[in-house]
Amino acid sequence: MANKIYDVIVIGTGAGGGMAIKTLCEAGLKVCALNAGRRLDPEKDFRYHRMPWDMKFRGMDDPKRRGESFGYMDNEYTKAAWDHEIPFTTAPGMKWMWPRCNAVGGKTNFWGRSSARFGDIDFKASSLDGYDVDWPLTHEEISPFYTRVEKMIGVASTVQNRPSNPDGSYLPPFRFRCLDRILEAGCNKVGVPYLPDRCAQLTQPHEGHPACHFCGECTTGCDVGAFFSTPYFLLPKAEATNNLELRTDALAKNVLVDENGQAAGVAYIDRKTRQEVEVYGRAVVVAASCVESSRIMLNSKSRFWPNGIANSSGQLGRNLCDHLYGESARGYLPQLLGQPSFPDHVADSTIAWMPRWQNLKDPHEEKFIRGYSVYPDGGCEEFPGFATDMDGFGSSFKREIKRRYPTPVSFGIQAPSLRSDTNFVDLDPEIKDPYGIPVARLHFEWDDNVLKMWEHSKQVCAEVLRAAGGEFEGSGDAPEIPGYSLHETGTCRMGNDPKKFVTNRFGQTHDVRNLYVCDASVFLNCTDKTTTISILAFSLRSSEHLIENFRRGEHKAA
Amino acid sequence: MAGQGVGRRQILRVLGTAAAAAQFPGFSKWAFACGHVGNADVQVKPMVYSPQFFTVGEYAMVERLVEIIIPSDRTPGAKEAGVAEFIDFMVASDPDEQYGFRTGLTWLNAHSEQTLGKRFVELTPAQQISLLEPFGFKDKARPGEEAGRRFFTTMREYTVTGFYTSEIGFKELDNPSLKFYSESPECPHKDDPEHRHLAPANS
Repeated sequence: MANKIYDVIVIGTGAGGGMAIKTLCEAGLKVCALNAGRRLDPEKDFRYHRMPWDMKFRGMDDPKRRGESFGYMDNEYTKAAWDHEIPFTTAPGMKWMWPRCNAVGGKTNFWGRSSARFGDIDFKASSLDGYDVDWPLTHEEISPFYTRVEKMIGVASTVQNRPSNPDGSYLPPFRFRCLDRILEAGCNKVGVPYLPDRCAQLTQPHEGHPACHFCGECTTGCDVGAFFSTPYFLLPKAEATNNLELRTDALAKNVLVDENGQAAGVAYIDRKTRQEVEVYGRAVVVAASCVESSRIMLNSKSRFWPNGIANSSGQLGRNLCDHLYGESARGYLPQLLGQPSFPDHVADSTIAWMPRWQNLKDPHEEKFIRGYSVYPDGGCEEFPGFATDMDGFGSSFKREIKRRYPTPVSFGIQAPSLRSDTNFVDLDPEIKDPYGIPVARLHFEWDDNVLKMWEHSKQVCAEVLRAAGGEFEGSGDAPEIPGYSLHETGTCRMGNDPKKFVTNRFGQTHDVRNLYVCDASVFLNCTDKTTTISILAFSLRSSEHLIENFRRGEHKAA
Repeated sequence: MAGQGVGRRQILRVLGTAAAAAQFPGFSKWAFACGHVGNADVQVKPMVYSPQFFTVGEYAMVERLVEIIIPSDRTPGAKEAGVAEFIDFMVASDPDEQYGFRTGLTWLNAHSEQTLGKRFVELTPAQQISLLEPFGFKDKARPGEEAGRRFFTTMREYTVTGFYTSEIGFKELDNPSLKFYSESPECPHKDDPEHRHLAPANS
């Protein structure tokens, strides 16, 4: 058993790993997948329609734990799914939030589901504005993979013909609520787009998966699998091939190398026995999520790779990018005062979007380069958050809360940081995790360009709110801290030049031909779009490239 | 977008972060409120609740304060929803908040004795309300009473949180989270995109 050699070892079972596992297994390759946590049981580990009063702390969790909680998805309903054992550090004066779901399926269990394609405006951004470099591929090249992914997972949206947003194949969109139609009218007056988001939530049954029942609890786990996650959509297909061995509680430590410095397998910690175990394969796919993949590769030191495996460029861990998130504006819509309550929360926030409208014709039209998107939200939420700030008390206070319940709205920005030499991940020289493995150390600060987007968005969103007849009440004092969006990219960037990039255009590392990276770390930056659907499309493409390399004999089958 | 309602962000902001665990004793009104409200045939006599953090005297004040903030009127209020128990439990679980609540209640009693010659719970309901108005209404605020306003604001935040996370609070708002839908719900006002001409509410 100890000497068994698999075709491929895949680290991670989230979007990138899950797609690789399914694709490789269906091609007949023998796969051993390592996952740092356990399998979840939706009935126990997801919210499963429990209401706040069913919970000891009303869903807000024990105050003593809230200080340790990494992000809003890590809450009382799902707390057993998030990793709290493996620490990380930040460089002096810097902040980072790093929510990690180490359960099987990773963050796809709880993700936000917005699923816009990257476009040529993203891939060729450098040609347009002169900053950084272009991606080593075009939309035309990746488009068929997006199309296949959209079919696999089901994305609800409409064809929108936006220059920044290539259209795909969509299920019927979420229908607009009252607040959408009001804000849409405001956007029309201001001249910015307001459209159905691209939401991977099934508005009708799709590929054997049931339609959504619109309970609004998506980010605490779906009890019926009506939105894409790897445990519902991909892993069962891989398991049906009998080509998959999934090892859980297996925390990847480093990639093993052979006598030529090529990948030979993976060393991992069995978190149950706390023992180190080795597993061998003809090829290795790293898909542990951007920062963790860098950590594993940086920790994969050998005489061949003294600075981490496949790091002859010195770019491994560098170029960390993230989405700036923040509340660009908040207020309420007086038109809806006193109206009956309406199920506004049914997609848990991604029904509509204001897709990038800046710098579309002229890349230097604004005071910043590139662009951002905005997600509007509001209406009858599960909890009337506005009420905690209201004045007064008594029956009039109680009536006013009910009257205002349908009216609140807010605008959340999603803006990409620019690549920078000062934003990166390395290994902390002193701190180790409980298994003795050096932890990731984050170096990250928002750049001026993204902060200009933040200021710009505050102005535009306030204008939209007022144009919609709404009352503007304020903006977030500051953006959320880096890492909050869960959209980090860039630490194993893809490019044609082995001196400047960790992986080639297929996510295969330049230095180690049988080592592939299949998560967002291969992306050159965040763009204004979310990452998951692109991770899926790129991972599908990389996996098929890997399969082709097996067929061509570049990697020998086990 | 990493989906996230405004409500959850707000709720976490309000209740902040802190340390220390609590023994969970079980509730009388919580259990009462969640199991049997709306079912007139079932009469449950609540146990007597023993506060975990507050003294009996303090707890009586908390009970009265939450009742004043969200009263029982045409619909059930904070009392029926067991909000005082919620606050006691949350404060017992959260040492960072304990000093503020204890000093706030002590201060309120002292203020009551100083201005009206009686402890807060001994005042008539009308006296209690008029005593609290400068702390609860911005336009009645008086200079030099910032600490009182801060304490009342905290009490109001906890009351709102406790009430609107209870089943009674959900019903008060006809909270749509209680329901499922067979298709994505759509705005019913086809002819009025800007919603400038909606019929006034019934209530």
